[in-house]
Amino acid sequence: MANPNPTPTLAPAGPLSAFWNAFSQNRGAVGGLIILLTIIVLAIFAEWIAPYSAVEQFRGMTKLPPAWAEGGDKHFLLGTDALGRDMLSRLIYGARISLFIGLAVMSVSVVVGITLGLLAAFLGGVVDSVLMRIMDLIMSIPSLVLAILVVSILGPSLTNTIVAVSVVYLPNYVRLVRGSALSEFGKDYIIAAKVAGVGPIRLMFVTVLPNCLAPLIVQAALGVSNAILEAAALGFLGLGAQPPTPEWGAMLADAREFIRSNPWIVTLPGLAILVSVVSINLFGDGLRDALDPKLRRS
Amino acid sequence: MIKFILRRLLLTIPTFIALMFVTFIAIRLVPGDPVEVRTGEHGISPERLAYFRHELGLDQPVWKQFLDYVWQLLHGDFGVSLSSNEKVLTEFLTLFPATLELSLAGILFAVTLGVPAGVVAAVKRGSWFDHTLMGAAVAGFSMPIFWWGLLLIMLVSEGWHLTPVAGRIDMIKFYFEPTTGFMLIDSLLSDQKGAFLSTLHHLVLPMIVLGTVPLAVIARMTRSSMLEVLSEDYVRTARAKGLSEFRVISLHALRNALIPVVTVVGLQVGGLLAGAVLTETIFSWPGVGKWLIDSIGRRDYPALQGGILLISSLVIIINLLVDVLYGAINPRIRHG
Repeated sequence: MANPNPTPTLAPAGPLSAFWNAFSQNRGAVGGLIILLTIIVLAIFAEWIAPYSAVEQFRGMTKLPPAWAEGGDKHFLLGTDALGRDMLSRLIYGARISLFIGLAVMSVSVVVGITLGLLAAFLGGVVDSVLMRIMDLIMSIPSLVLAILVVSILGPSLTNTIVAVSVVYLPNYVRLVRGSALSEFGKDYIIAAKVAGVGPIRLMFVTVLPNCLAPLIVQAALGVSNAILEAAALGFLGLGAQPPTPEWGAMLADAREFIRSNPWIVTLPGLAILVSVVSINLFGDGLRDALDPKLRRS
Repeated sequence: MIKFILRRLLLTIPTFIALMFVTFIAIRLVPGDPVEVRTGEHGISPERLAYFRHELGLDQPVWKQFLDYVWQLLHGDFGVSLSSNEKVLTEFLTLFPATLELSLAGILFAVTLGVPAGVVAAVKRGSWFDHTLMGAAVAGFSMPIFWWGLLLIMLVSEGWHLTPVAGRIDMIKFYFEPTTGFMLIDSLLSDQKGAFLSTLHHLVLPMIVLGTVPLAVIARMTRSSMLEVLSEDYVRTARAKGLSEFRVISLHALRNALIPVVTVVGLQVGGLLAGAVLTETIFSWPGVGKWLIDSIGRRDYPALQGGILLISSLVIIINLLVDVLYGAINPRIRHG
């Protein structure tokens, strides 16, 4: 990044600026970050940015094409859906829902994953075996099928989507934390900490955990995009957020019947999903390359 | 080697037991009493209810019910579908070849395009081809495939009228009894002119949709694995010997670069089945994925329970086979 007043310094770069230097080398990652930030701003300030409410229906304005197309209305920039709701507004509010799902799933699975992973690593023995067999089981069921199972028990809703998708992605975090914790165990600083009389909880969370963070952060970033995709798939199958919630996957499902007559109703929500997921993945790739050179894919 | 296989087999047994336990519990957590679901809303006399509950074993203690359930499963009894009154296993086995055919086609598509593309990108590192391909790969594995399917239907089927929208074959023109369940083979065996072409025609779009994510993953993996191998000493030696560039890449480098790629293909099985659920739903492909989703809509819980159990068992078994295969190829895994 260009510094407006370059002041020559001799101090070594701090961890943050070292990270930024490595990260900003990757043009794709910076592009991803910019798009992601835009989507985040749209999601947070949806009330002020969206021209209309997400559920307001305009009579006689149904299935309008985007404003630039023939028959479009300049009041509805991206057109309207089958019930006369403004597409642009629905997409903007949809960003809020998708990002919320992604972040919620990520937070739940990171917190539970860290706890279970550290427990498995520290306690070992029966606890470790049982936990890892359960994770094996979760991983052996195809992700969407498992999510379908969870939703069919709990019933389709936004909250249950989050629960279902969190369960699906939990094993990744548990295995990651357990693996990196185990690899730290033999190292001298752990023995030193033990000798110094550090208690088990402090040893787990303060001594070991920070050294496992880099791969975890990368996994968490990519986990958000996976969760958004999975939740949209559930919404598309009618098992996620229920109408009239402007969830992108559910919007696609509603639009399926207009595939012949009104293609843009089908195109726009999917494009929104694709753009957000691509931007998060680009950002995640950049994070990985900058944080963890060992994981760098050439 | 035998010790390795045995150890791996033993490790799967608890997973299977846990799987049976989860599906057993799941069906009990679902809202609604199984007897009431079967008898409808009108209700029945208490005596009949007691009789049915006894018939279904619901008056037994839970641990006994679970053991009975496991016993039934071990005898191949996966319950009876509520909607068709057919055995769940029979239904599953009738539909499964359609899913398998689609999945194999998808992975074939991904490998035949992904490996060469990855190799070219690695050899021409930094070229416009490399940049375009890697950009496309990011889009590929970020793709919401249910939307990708709709988009392709919109363009290719509706716009250009090139492919059919749904199904496995033109059912109006062709009819034959399934012998293998694989439409490509059955249509060849049927001796009806054009049947095979019609099947291929129906397969193209679903194959592309299901193959897109694996294609992106394989292309990326091949590229990075190839880049690593190209800097190895034996590649330099092969070049120094004066071998042609083609021979160096295709014989010396690619064979070694493919090992991690094969691993990735093995890991895609679960994802492929999840993708098949979506692809089959979009293209009305009569496989187990669509059947599973339809079962939810019909509240056909025995079918759902049996289907999930069967699909997951399949994934466990395939993962086991893949593991054993790697153990055979790579001794480091065996002794790890």
